[in-house]
Amino acid sequence: MDAFARGVAALSRFFGVVAALMIVLSVLVVCQMVFVRAVLGQSTVWQTPFVTYLLVGATFLGSPYVLLLKGHVNVDLLPLYLPHPARKVLAFLAAALSLAFCLLLFIKGVEFWHEAYAKHWTSSSVWRIPLWIPYLSLPLGMGLVCLQYLADIYNLATGKDLPFGLKAEDTL
Amino acid sequence: MSPLEMGVVIALVTTLLLFSGAPVAFAMGAAAVGFLVIFDGPRMLGVVAENMLSGLDDFTLVSIPMFVLMGAAVASSRAGSDLYEALERWLYKVPGSLVISNLGAAAMFAALTGSSPATCAAIGKMGIPEMRRRGYPADLATGAIAAGGTLGILIPPSITFILYGIATGSSIGRLFLAGVIPGLMLTGLFMMWALFVCWRKGIGFDARHRIYSWREKFESLPKILPFLVIIAGVIYALYGGIATPSEAAGVGAALCLVLAVTIYRMWNPKDLWHILKDTTRESVMIMMIIATSILFGYMLSNLFVTQSLANWIAGLAVGKWVLMLWINIFLLVAGCFLPPAAIILMTAPILYPIITQAGFDPIWFGVIVTINMELGLITPPVGLNLYVINGIAPDVRLPTILKGALPFMLCMVVQILLLCVFPEIATWLPDTLMGKSVVK
Amino acid sequence: QTVTLKASHQFPGGKGDVRDEMVQLIAREVAAANVGLEVRVFPGASLFKPKDQWNAMVKGQLDIAAFPLDYANGQHPQFSATLMPGLVKNHDHAKRLNNSPFMADIKKIINDAGVVVLADAWLAGAFGSKKGCLVNPEDLKGAKIRSAGPAFEEMWAGAGASIASMPSNEVYTALQTGAIDATDTSSGSFTSFRLYEQIKCLTAPGDNALWFMYEPVLMSKKSFDALNDKQKQALMAAAKKSEDYFFQEAKKLDSEMETVFKKANVQVTSLNGEQLAKWRAVAQRTAYKTFSDSVPGGKALIDKALNVQ
Ligand code: NA
Ligand code: NA
Repeated sequence: MDAFARGVAALSRFFGVVAALMIVLSVLVVCQMVFVRAVLGQSTVWQTPFVTYLLVGATFLGSPYVLLLKGHVNVDLLPLYLPHPARKVLAFLAAALSLAFCLLLFIKGVEFWHEAYAKHWTSSSVWRIPLWIPYLSLPLGMGLVCLQYLADIYNLATGKDLPFGLKAEDTL
Repeated sequence: MSPLEMGVVIALVTTLLLFSGAPVAFAMGAAAVGFLVIFDGPRMLGVVAENMLSGLDDFTLVSIPMFVLMGAAVASSRAGSDLYEALERWLYKVPGSLVISNLGAAAMFAALTGSSPATCAAIGKMGIPEMRRRGYPADLATGAIAAGGTLGILIPPSITFILYGIATGSSIGRLFLAGVIPGLMLTGLFMMWALFVCWRKGIGFDARHRIYSWREKFESLPKILPFLVIIAGVIYALYGGIATPSEAAGVGAALCLVLAVTIYRMWNPKDLWHILKDTTRESVMIMMIIATSILFGYMLSNLFVTQSLANWIAGLAVGKWVLMLWINIFLLVAGCFLPPAAIILMTAPILYPIITQAGFDPIWFGVIVTINMELGLITPPVGLNLYVINGIAPDVRLPTILKGALPFMLCMVVQILLLCVFPEIATWLPDTLMGKSVVK
Repeated sequence: QTVTLKASHQFPGGKGDVRDEMVQLIAREVAAANVGLEVRVFPGASLFKPKDQWNAMVKGQLDIAAFPLDYANGQHPQFSATLMPGLVKNHDHAKRLNNSPFMADIKKIINDAGVVVLADAWLAGAFGSKKGCLVNPEDLKGAKIRSAGPAFEEMWAGAGASIASMPSNEVYTALQTGAIDATDTSSGSFTSFRLYEQIKCLTAPGDNALWFMYEPVLMSKKSFDALNDKQKQALMAAAKKSEDYFFQEAKKLDSEMETVFKKANVQVTSLNGEQLAKWRAVAQRTAYKTFSDSVPGGKALIDKALNVQ
């Protein structure tokens, strides 16, 4: 199980790097677009949808990494208020709630991705990118978030992680 | 169950889920999906995936990671401390000069990024330890940075304005301009408070220990120059006919990266990754909240809660200013628990028709909402700027920060009141530069 | 037991927008018919994003919607023919098109996807520039233009313009700052976005329009089939009224636009037959060609449309 948790963390980190690179790439493409239009006076057709889909992808693919970093902001008023054992129970509940939502997104994401793939949907701009490519980011990213949550729950159960990252002496 | 009753149930349960400590994005998403299925049947699950994907499929949102990246690039360099040091050399004779320099630097930095936590981190990382080293009390030092950091969303560029513009269909360029004068005034109010408290307590007369020559004063200026160049560059791109706000954000982000790499020599992979990691963390967090807020908003609209609530409020026989007061109180309470992105995307569609019907200017209201959101960035339990301060100065406890921040928060309330009395503070600049506002 | 139908569109609600009125009229008529049917209108994209409406109807999660059919060209590329330059010359021509083999083909695709057309509607549009009048293809050389649809983008590019894509709410500012110097959109949008403050010369639809767009009121087949016969009748009767209402109003949108632009001292012109032919020639080698080459049945659709007199 430890190997599983480490493997998932490595996978999350990898997709974190992918997401970061997608953001950098989108910056470069936006600059290229401004240059091509403002300086060269040429058409910009593919840049707008490309950059938009890059950031859709970065959001979903980067999500497991941000979860690993505990970077998804939460309301920790109740956890701070509760004594440590109750805090741990709440942490399991919170993780289960999030896991349920992300699992649903994963399943629905796979269905929607498959529909776009099977029916040959494309974007409606001149630049006709097959939509299954950007749509893949939702099931992939959310699937990884589910794995990351499973790893988190394992770490929490074995005491490797503190509930909500709070030490026993952290209170209001 | 009537839509309004549904609304009450949804509000209660969603609050409960948020308090579970689950990430705001996932708690809201779970609430949205749950109520869709309970009140409208499981067939509604069919919209979830498309809603999440198409919610983010909007080129205007592209500016969010870019404006975050602008901040992250500069924040991870020594630029923040250069900025306030330069100001300090010019202001050192003023009581509390270091606090005032930090506030001024925060305002300048706010013009470089669309995010408040980024502003807070950039200035606070060097500013807080330096202020405390020189004997400023911890509450003043941390409170000033927590408050100064909020300027990041009022002084353009601003993610809050972008989201308000998207949610209400208002011009983002116009909103940006509307934030300039209130942002500068609020900076002024912050500085006046800092001046007053330092004068009263007799702290910060650094002039007794250190005297800067004119030569030292002028030597510090070239360090601010790159910032001014980038700010000017982005403004030129925005209003000079080169780029839309989203595109200007991209150019600004590239310029800031170049600045960090060349002038501040952050070219080794570790430094670069630090910038990118911060950018990814904050952008993904905000974008996920945006995606699930849109899903949540869809759920409310689909169940006719949004519309019923708007009709109910519009039907209340209250004066427009009483209405504005209650709206602000509501936003303030929401601001305690939710980050600005979630609040704006969920409430703007409800509030927009109400305030335009009551005769308020939607651009002006965008500024009011933004200042209100600034308050929310400092109020616990969810205050993004508080998290940042906690990261910089872990030994300063929350009540201390809040004690120091409270007077600055009162300045924000004063600024809202000033805007209510003199709406032109917000509307004059956009109306002058872009012509009278186009209300659809 | 009253059946409640959800109707969605992206236009401002309750402010007299003709496209909103078209849907509101159906809602009022159906309510008045007293057949246990209620239509709840969600204006201003307050329920679905404009481009999500098609899929939502196909799946039965949305009952009624009004939007440019071209929005669904990613699912059915044939729909691009309904925002194709130079296929529709004027409103009466559009009316004749509705009962042509061309629209029969389009409607078959709509029906096969699980959607029915309640009311046909064609909107005319215009194009205009900050620099001068655009009547011949040469006039567009070097212009930076933002266009409402991909087929138009191809034609403009074919005439030597460069294409900029941006959301419609950024067009005003982009014209003001000079990020673009020309744009095309529907007559109603030209007025509501106050583009007369930025445009120097407008090419109005007139009798030889280049720009027409199909923007019907559609309904999910699942939702339609679930109604009883009385409800179906009431709904179709309401839809017919709505269609007739819109046909009259669509012409008024054009004349209102011309009045407003002239009042703002914008030069207003339109194409003559010869100029339209030149544009069609450009479209022939750009938009029509791409459409014919890449869309199944595309060539036949264009030919059928061009055959409608
Ligand atoms: Na800012
Ligand atoms: Na707060």
